[in-house]
Amino acid sequence: MPKARGVAIAKDLRALLGPGAASCDPADLWASSRDCWPRSLLWTKAGIVPHPPDLVAWPASVDEVAQIVRYAAANQVAVVPFGAGSGVCGGTVPVRGGIALDLKRLAGAPLVDLPARTVEAAAGLNGQRLEEELNSKGATLGHFPSSIYCSTVGGWLAARSAGQSSSRYGKIEDMVLSLEAVCGTGEILRTLEGPSAGPDLTQLLVGSEGTLAVITRARLRCWPVPPARFLRGVRFPSVEKGLKALRLIMRAGLRPSIARLSDPLDALFAGRPGGAAIDLRVPAPLRWLVKAGQEESLRLALRAPLLMNRLADALPASSLLILGFEGDRESEAAEEGTAALRLCGRAGGADLGPAPGERWLSHRYQISYRPSPLFAAGAFVDTMEVATTWDRLPSVYAAVRRAVAPHAFVQTHFSHAYLEGSSICFSFIGLAGATAAEVASFDPGEAELDLEGAEARYDACWKAALTAAADEGATLSHHHGIGLHKQLFLTREHGEGMRQLRALKRAFDPHGILNPGKLLL
Amino acid sequence: MNPLRDDLLSAGCALVAEAADGYRATPPSVASLCRVVTVLRAHRCPLSIRGSGDAPVLPGAGGVVLDLSALDRIPVMDGETGIAQVEAGCSVNALETAAWRAGATLGPLLPSVRAGSVGAWLAGPTRGERGIPGARRETAALAVSSVLGDGKLAESRAAPRSATGPDLDHLALGGQGRLCVIALAWVRLFPASPALSSSWRVRDLLHGLGAVERLCKDRLAPARVRIQGGRLALAWEGMETAPLDRDRAARVLASLSCELAPESETNLWIRASAAGQAIELDAQWDALARLGASASELQLVGLHAGGSFAVLAHRDQGVDECARLSQRAGARVLAPRRLRAAGPSWEAMGAGAVWLRLVDALGVANDDAHGVAIAALGVANDDAQGVAIAAPDAAEEP
Repeated sequence: MPKARGVAIAKDLRALLGPGAASCDPADLWASSRDCWPRSLLWTKAGIVPHPPDLVAWPASVDEVAQIVRYAAANQVAVVPFGAGSGVCGGTVPVRGGIALDLKRLAGAPLVDLPARTVEAAAGLNGQRLEEELNSKGATLGHFPSSIYCSTVGGWLAARSAGQSSSRYGKIEDMVLSLEAVCGTGEILRTLEGPSAGPDLTQLLVGSEGTLAVITRARLRCWPVPPARFLRGVRFPSVEKGLKALRLIMRAGLRPSIARLSDPLDALFAGRPGGAAIDLRVPAPLRWLVKAGQEESLRLALRAPLLMNRLADALPASSLLILGFEGDRESEAAEEGTAALRLCGRAGGADLGPAPGERWLSHRYQISYRPSPLFAAGAFVDTMEVATTWDRLPSVYAAVRRAVAPHAFVQTHFSHAYLEGSSICFSFIGLAGATAAEVASFDPGEAELDLEGAEARYDACWKAALTAAADEGATLSHHHGIGLHKQLFLTREHGEGMRQLRALKRAFDPHGILNPGKLLL
Repeated sequence: MNPLRDDLLSAGCALVAEAADGYRATPPSVASLCRVVTVLRAHRCPLSIRGSGDAPVLPGAGGVVLDLSALDRIPVMDGETGIAQVEAGCSVNALETAAWRAGATLGPLLPSVRAGSVGAWLAGPTRGERGIPGARRETAALAVSSVLGDGKLAESRAAPRSATGPDLDHLALGGQGRLCVIALAWVRLFPASPALSSSWRVRDLLHGLGAVERLCKDRLAPARVRIQGGRLALAWEGMETAPLDRDRAARVLASLSCELAPESETNLWIRASAAGQAIELDAQWDALARLGASASELQLVGLHAGGSFAVLAHRDQGVDECARLSQRAGARVLAPRRLRAAGPSWEAMGAGAVWLRLVDALGVANDDAHGVAIAALGVANDDAQGVAIAAPDAAEEP
């Protein structure tokens, strides 16, 4: 049931902006109450909505955003910017209710200026739509997050998103030239491209996760679509040798569009459609039986994660590096690719040809749609993406795997490589509890108990992983952001810098209304 | 009895009494620097900063110059990973020398940057930026440790990229020391590799500039460029990429009616100082094109798809007029320091009120009403003297 407060605010906003500007419909409230944070999938499975907003508002212009923010500031109402809800850290969960500010109506056609290599896009524009618009004019952003079909430009900027070609094109903070945003007083800020005085205002707003300002528009760097591509898979006898090759490639100044090193377990699944799920060909009438068997086997295996991890370690498997290069001609892409293969050879790698790369590329976005069946089967799945310099990567890899092994099955890949280091993505699969079908048959008390157990196991896994990563000097997040999920570790990350963060909050959002309860603000 | 003097000495710094009741304080360590800032805040004492260099700098009346020249250590130099940890007072030249010994380099930088300290480079108007492969530009600072207004040290993690909220290092980078004092930084290094150059004949400077812009927009940005008297010279760095990029660029340049004109010692020519008086700029391509018609020489580093850092010498004008023309063309003058342009401020971006609230929230307003000390940490380097000099306009917006 909508709260009276929400109904009253919605009425005010409709009077301010028009009849379709706000809603208290329970379906709308539910849709804006969560994102793709795995914990919120556990909530959904248990049938609970712990943090609904009071209402949802759909501004259609920056002026309407400013009007809503000014209204909220005057009435001390929380405003939580919402893009497409693809975040995985609970960054848009409205923990203090208020207005879920859905920005999808800020989505006009992007202004592409290919000769200048720029594109201007509204914050609510869907990522895939932006890329298609660019492609139609011979351009690309070069930003391919696995969530591209279900994320927005504003969301990318708010969380410092990274795409699968970040080693070539950079992360979103490397692409942004200027921004338009509304700060917590309703003032509209328009940062300038090119040289400016003092601290870089654009970079202080990027990654602020809606706590400092609502990003409404951005000008981004784009490039001509490269017509040629060179793909290869390279096998290495160990992760360490693969890492050495990755470092040599990046330090040599080469610019791979894809550079993804899988550890042995991840290599087993790399490129498999649907990831870990192995599709058995059985007659339709018997599929329920197979499905139930698979779910039971999965839960049985996940009851002994330490044993499973040790078994996986004992597999006679090798690491796999997927490499991709782009160019204006086939020969240009191949030149860089050949140089990279030479460096791989120096590190003990064996060229497997283009097939592994092509296989991976054809399934590059499936990861975002993989977890739901596993949750339904009684597991939780999550990914921790930390980053550090080349010298620390091996110790971060070993320490996190050791720490997580008793809690969940863990597979790892290194991607988003730079001159000085790389991100490491650890994927966890742990035991959540009952299957979705079982939970549906529970009474509310049982469902709550199942959720409590699942959350406890999930939290224990994450605490172990983040502690190990931080102990080894890694940064807590490379591109997923902090949200609700990692904020308890934020003080460890920033130390005295937390005071700078709070000062920024007081400066940009003196009333404390923008996405309260995130980033410890 | 002088409580300020006593407290500064107890903070562990070397102290020299200067004119007008001011002091020059030289902390020997980062810990001492933090203590000194705490003392100055307690005494509500105006503060300015100098980095490395040999020019004498006097404090304002009753104020203190914080001389960072003793913070010149390089605790970590890791050429394999491509990172170094360095104190703010270390000169950029000294860091480059140490990097070369480890098989690494900072890459091409503006002459005024090379003449200053690391702190001045990072806190100054270039924000420590330099060109990186793929016609992009990024700051050389991997992580920054900076002293806040109350003397606490905020240290960020050394990671190639991060998504842990706003990038707090950007309160220090380009901040001219107004919001915090850079004490220590992790700096990114390139592998040292021989530059591969090529020399071309162009119709005039504008023709050459247009060709270079096209290369950058095709992701073939050279590391250095010099255009003078119908000669265009370009150099690429990068172990594996330099020969590839040079060959690809040759095809593009030929298609733009540039004529290959092999010259001996192109690498030396390209690195030589500009002839006559020159100014340094940060400019977009269109601004450079507006200046190009009357310029006699242009040297470019930190090239990217949108523009470049430039050293520009003018045919008929002195540096003052040259700077005025550059400003009018939309370029930002970086050096000489006396001609440096502040550039568009936060006010121009609609964030004037945000800036004032930020200064207040960080407790760094040099405003008697607030009674806070640390401010006006003008650590930007001076091109002529290679020093960091205090800016007295503390509460002024950037």
